[in-house]
Amino acid sequence: MFPISQDFAPPFKLISPFFILGSLFYLLSAIYIFFISAENLFVLDTKIVGFVHLFLLGFIMMTIFGAMAQLVPVVLEVGHFGVELFYAIWPLLGIGTIMMVFGFVGYPMLLPFGGVVVLIAMMIFVMEIFLTIKKIKKFNLVMKSILISNTFLFFGVILGLVMALGYSGLITVDINMLLRGHLFLVIIGYIVITIMGLSLVLLPMFGLSHGFSHKPLERAVLMVGTAVILVVASSFYPLPILEYSGYVLAILGLCIYFYFINTIYKTRARKEIDIYAKSLMFSYFSLIASLILALLYFLFGAQELLLSSGWMMFFGFFAFVVTGHVYKIIPFLVWFERFSPLVGKQRVPMLADMVPKKSSSAQLLFGAIGVVIIAVAILLQDEKLIKAGASFLLISTLAFVKSVFFMINYK
Amino acid sequence: MYSKEELFLAISTVIDPEVGFNLVEMGLIYDASCDVDGNAYVKMTLSTKACPMHQLIQQWVKEAVLKMANIKSVEIDLVWEPEWNITMADEHVKQALSRG
Repeated sequence: MFPISQDFAPPFKLISPFFILGSLFYLLSAIYIFFISAENLFVLDTKIVGFVHLFLLGFIMMTIFGAMAQLVPVVLEVGHFGVELFYAIWPLLGIGTIMMVFGFVGYPMLLPFGGVVVLIAMMIFVMEIFLTIKKIKKFNLVMKSILISNTFLFFGVILGLVMALGYSGLITVDINMLLRGHLFLVIIGYIVITIMGLSLVLLPMFGLSHGFSHKPLERAVLMVGTAVILVVASSFYPLPILEYSGYVLAILGLCIYFYFINTIYKTRARKEIDIYAKSLMFSYFSLIASLILALLYFLFGAQELLLSSGWMMFFGFFAFVVTGHVYKIIPFLVWFERFSPLVGKQRVPMLADMVPKKSSSAQLLFGAIGVVIIAVAILLQDEKLIKAGASFLLISTLAFVKSVFFMINYK
Repeated sequence: MYSKEELFLAISTVIDPEVGFNLVEMGLIYDASCDVDGNAYVKMTLSTKACPMHQLIQQWVKEAVLKMANIKSVEIDLVWEPEWNITMADEHVKQALSRG
């Protein structure tokens, strides 16, 4: 008999704020783009840095943390150490994110306060995950990936706080030197490795894929993890060989990950192209586009290529992986809470019935167009194209918020 | 005392809400039996180990069998060998799932 966790589904009221706030931050990120002009298009421009934090902390991290509250017991096969701790995470992360964004756009003194609040939220999350992982006796690849990604998050957030203190003038540090370490730890080390690890569980589960090798993912996680360590080391020991080997290894690791995704896709029994499948297709298209732009940046050195690569990685890859999974996770949670007690007593909806067809399609279509237009706008540094792309994204994110509320309130 | 077919028929009322097919036509129920005292045994699997509905699906199977007259207890044996794959499902399930 297979051991089964006793805490599969935490109460929905614990998880729903993560998805509601995440979708609202997604909407705010789209609105924020209207205030970015072509002259802001530099990696270290404060408006860009503010946007990156609003999007990554407010939307991506918020939604990932909510999803992890549900997924951790499922993938680790043990109950949470303290699932109630998640009640503290979303308010702290939300408040900290807003303070940090205001800190970047004009009130630098707010940065250390926002940074500390975000740090507390993240530390609660990381510690809860570590203490949950401690209960596991036998590690598999998914568990290792979660352990690695959360370790990177732990160090990434500490580095981020040091930078926030430096940025507001409270301590003296070389922010530029720490920046790439912080970026790699949090974005590649946490977000990318978490997505990679969970792919092994979620993609075969929804696609009913069987008989594929786990080896490519193992290699990809190892390469990307090593890449993060090399790039972080280059923040402290500025040797170009460390930095560039890290970049090359990260790109290679992501290429292998893409190959792995392709093998899962080929072996899937469930060929239905629903909103989930479409979202993932666009996200992986964005990942490839991001990798190509990153390679071009290394060849030609133009900063627009790097910004465009980052854009495709964030608003293309991350956002569509996350929104695609939200269309699976929220219906499941709502169904589990509201309809599972009625099974056998009355007719209950299927999970697919709970996804709003029109607003989810609108979100995908307008979002995909908006993402591509803004990627081009960044390359051409074109003001009008930025606003045009932002308009598409605004419609897309509004549709997403509508979808989230529809699914949460489904009766 | 029920036959394997009768037990399978009772379990076929349990539907996987994600794919919309019942567990028997999905090929997830490997075996079922019942002794003269009304103690039933069901050997089953799931389409993936990481299924978040692990417990719930087993509970539904149990309830579906317990609804049968004279059944006193149900033992569920959740196994992972042989591992489920789509070839175990009924032909109409395979066809429905393979439509894009």
